[in-house]
Amino acid sequence: MQGYILNLLILVSISGILATSLNFIIGYAGIYSMAHAAFFGVAAYTGALVAMHVSTSLLVTIPIAMAVCAALSLVISLPSLRVRGDYFVVASLGLQMIAFTVFSEWKEVTGGIGGLTGVPVATLFGFRLASLESFFLVALTCLALVVLIIYTLVHTSFGRSLKAIRDNEVAAATFGKNPIVIKTIAVAISTAFCGVAGVLYAFHISFVNPESFTVDQSVFIMSMIIIGGTGTVFGPILGALIIHLLPAGLTYLTFLPARDLASLQQIIYGAAMVLLMIYWPSGLIGRANVKDTWAK
Amino acid sequence: MLLLQLLVDGLQLGALYALMAVGFAVIFGSTRVFHYAHGTTYVLVGYLFYWMAERLAVPWWLAAALAALAGVVFGVVLDRFVYRPIQRDEGSFFTVFVASFGVGVVVENLVVIFFGASFVSISTPLTRVTDIGGGIVISYLGICSMLIAVALFVLLNWLLARTDVGVALRALSENPELVRGFGLNPRKLSQYAFAIGSLLVAPAALVATCVTGLTPSSGHRVVLISIAASIIGGIGSLRGAGFGGLILGLAESMAVWKLSTGWSEAVAFVILFCFILARPSGLFGIRARV
Repeated sequence: MQGYILNLLILVSISGILATSLNFIIGYAGIYSMAHAAFFGVAAYTGALVAMHVSTSLLVTIPIAMAVCAALSLVISLPSLRVRGDYFVVASLGLQMIAFTVFSEWKEVTGGIGGLTGVPVATLFGFRLASLESFFLVALTCLALVVLIIYTLVHTSFGRSLKAIRDNEVAAATFGKNPIVIKTIAVAISTAFCGVAGVLYAFHISFVNPESFTVDQSVFIMSMIIIGGTGTVFGPILGALIIHLLPAGLTYLTFLPARDLASLQQIIYGAAMVLLMIYWPSGLIGRANVKDTWAK
Repeated sequence: MLLLQLLVDGLQLGALYALMAVGFAVIFGSTRVFHYAHGTTYVLVGYLFYWMAERLAVPWWLAAALAALAGVVFGVVLDRFVYRPIQRDEGSFFTVFVASFGVGVVVENLVVIFFGASFVSISTPLTRVTDIGGGIVISYLGICSMLIAVALFVLLNWLLARTDVGVALRALSENPELVRGFGLNPRKLSQYAFAIGSLLVAPAALVATCVTGLTPSSGHRVVLISIAASIIGGIGSLRGAGFGGLILGLAESMAVWKLSTGWSEAVAFVILFCFILARPSGLFGIRARV
């Protein structure tokens, strides 16, 4: 039972990192990415490969995965951020689809549908993080660091420029800000933090396969921040908590047919997304001024 | 010979993609709603057709008509009860997109509960192939799908050029304020756009259910292809979207010549990237830059 709870808490921490990093671009920069699961996957594969062939130290795997993700993000941000906002959504969707194909077809590197198995235990400063307790502490620390860094970033001049661009790109450009450069950097930062989550995930479940990095996963991450509240610090974490506790809670409702549980869960997410968008687009702890959050 | 066969297959696939893409383009072009649930309409039509024709043994033409009708109703109901309330509060592009995605998730999983997650298809004698000379084969249904696509494009062009609703829809895509100024109701017009767009995706769903089969998650791919084709063709251009669909179908089929089939799915998106990189306004589009 304790193992079950720790396991759940580790997954919540990892999802919290994913949601917080995505919130950085959606909530503060107004850039909507549908490729977060692709970056999560790239980081998980990178982390697994580095761990299997080079070093199992988190201090090696995490920076490499972050760098790979940030570099890859340029592939979509450079072409699409030049154009209108909706092109980024489309380009990121395209990247998500291509990434899934690469994960499942580039068999020499990714192991195809079967994925990579036998990711070794992570180490940190020479300690093996073999127990769930130690791994949870590391995951929680990572989450805290990511939240702290993003919170700090948002309150620097860079963060203020981002919000200015989100609210009015032309006005920001008039004040001498370069929207394309600032947005590109923001996307690179966001995907780099997504890389942290990917590495933790690969070590935690000790295998990676394409199934974990589908479009659905991207939506899953997005629904966390939408339910919790975009542009807030704790909204994404609350969302991650709710989305992970919901399936655990559903299993207690014994009258539901077990076969359909996964589908029912998805239906609840989907319906929650629709209803929130209609009645409460700022999320559970979203900012009071709804228009301001979403207006572009 | 293989190449020629792939070309013929690509034309059939392209005809289906063109129908999906034009349906999406009619909706997106005139209402600016990023209708992700367009793929959901496809899944819904396909499964209803399967359910009636295969399980209830309804005559196929009646099943097809009822399924297409259900698709139209679905599109109009979504516009009326989901998109409109959001747009009333000046909802952004993304708010509508998320809601649309949510609808897709709900319907996809309802389909899983009722029909299971595995793939369904309808067997019909029409999928049998016939030799059109030189060892190139094509199914009757393949010929049908190309004829349907051509017929619907002609019909759509006539509709947009000659009827009041068509002219109003084109006006809506160019200047919604002016349409309001002329005393027309953009809300009402958007219902027409959703009806037409949903109707266009229906034949693609019906044919594909027989030819390739259907899974509850087929919708994602359908809408992604539609979006990609609309961008390749140029947003706001129906001809472009149709053409874009045809290009994607051909490319996906021809890719099999050099690549293994697993990779062919990514080809469409690689082409999309090239367009975003080199020509974001697409083949026939204007105004892509801010």
